[in-house]
Amino acid sequence: MATTATISISSPDLMPGSSLSIAANTTLTKAGVTADLTQMETGVISLVSGTEYRLGPLATEMAGDAHDIASYLYICNTTTEDATYYIDWGINETMIGRLYAGDWMFIPWNASDDAAEIEIEPQGGTNTIEYAFFNSDFILPTAAS
Amino acid sequence: MATINANVTISSDISSYPISISKTMSMTKSANPAVGLEETTGLRTKKFTSTTAAVIVEHDELTDDKAHKVYIRNASTNRANFFYVAYNASAAAAATAETIGKLYGGDWMLMPYDGNVNITVASSTASETQYLEYMVFADGIVAAKG
Repeated sequence: MATTATISISSPDLMPGSSLSIAANTTLTKAGVTADLTQMETGVISLVSGTEYRLGPLATEMAGDAHDIASYLYICNTTTEDATYYIDWGINETMIGRLYAGDWMFIPWNASDDAAEIEIEPQGGTNTIEYAFFNSDFILPTAAS
Repeated sequence: MATINANVTISSDISSYPISISKTMSMTKSANPAVGLEETTGLRTKKFTSTTAAVIVEHDELTDDKAHKVYIRNASTNRANFFYVAYNASAAAAATAETIGKLYGGDWMLMPYDGNVNITVASSTASETQYLEYMVFADGIVAAKG
């Protein structure tokens, strides 16, 4: 059950006289070992602006010590609107960057505690995202009896 | 303006129905998505032999609240070792509030970055040398004052 992530970044003219070509590939595995990841979640969501949402599980929704779980998150803002539409993303109530229309991101994520959740907040209007979360240890909420 | 394209492909057969994600983005300015980014701090490779946290991106070299992109790759191969990567002025560790994640040997990441706080890293090991590759695609660089 292999999960691989490949990136290529190219530019013929960012650095004049030296075309840029970056290529990297990695096989995503459990933390610190070479065993494959075993769980995943994908989705497409339209989100109205002005509200902060959590993406992915809380630390307490992952088995074991969340510090030691390897998780990876892909998000793409599929919106095609202008530059006033974007998604603030951050961790622990701290915004880190803006995902503009058409932008994607791919990060490792290790929730240290529930406060270290992944937060996204659309701006400008309704933004639609695609996301994929890869992990090996998230657990489902217990159903009410 | 420059043309910078970043393509990601993620393939997984975790599910019985294998997924394949493929997406390309052009890195553009926050103020005008029709204009490409045209500045960079350059591609850097750094050797780490201790676990001391280090700043790899100094936010005061970049314009605040812009559409910067940061690419980071752990160029080492040992999956037992990793770098903490944090959005923090000086620290990067499990207990640092804005630690984003652990970048294991061979792993890479690409994230949008607003340029308001440093990006810091810390190697998980002092007994093995690790190498980090990184590059900032900038939506505005503040030239260092003499």
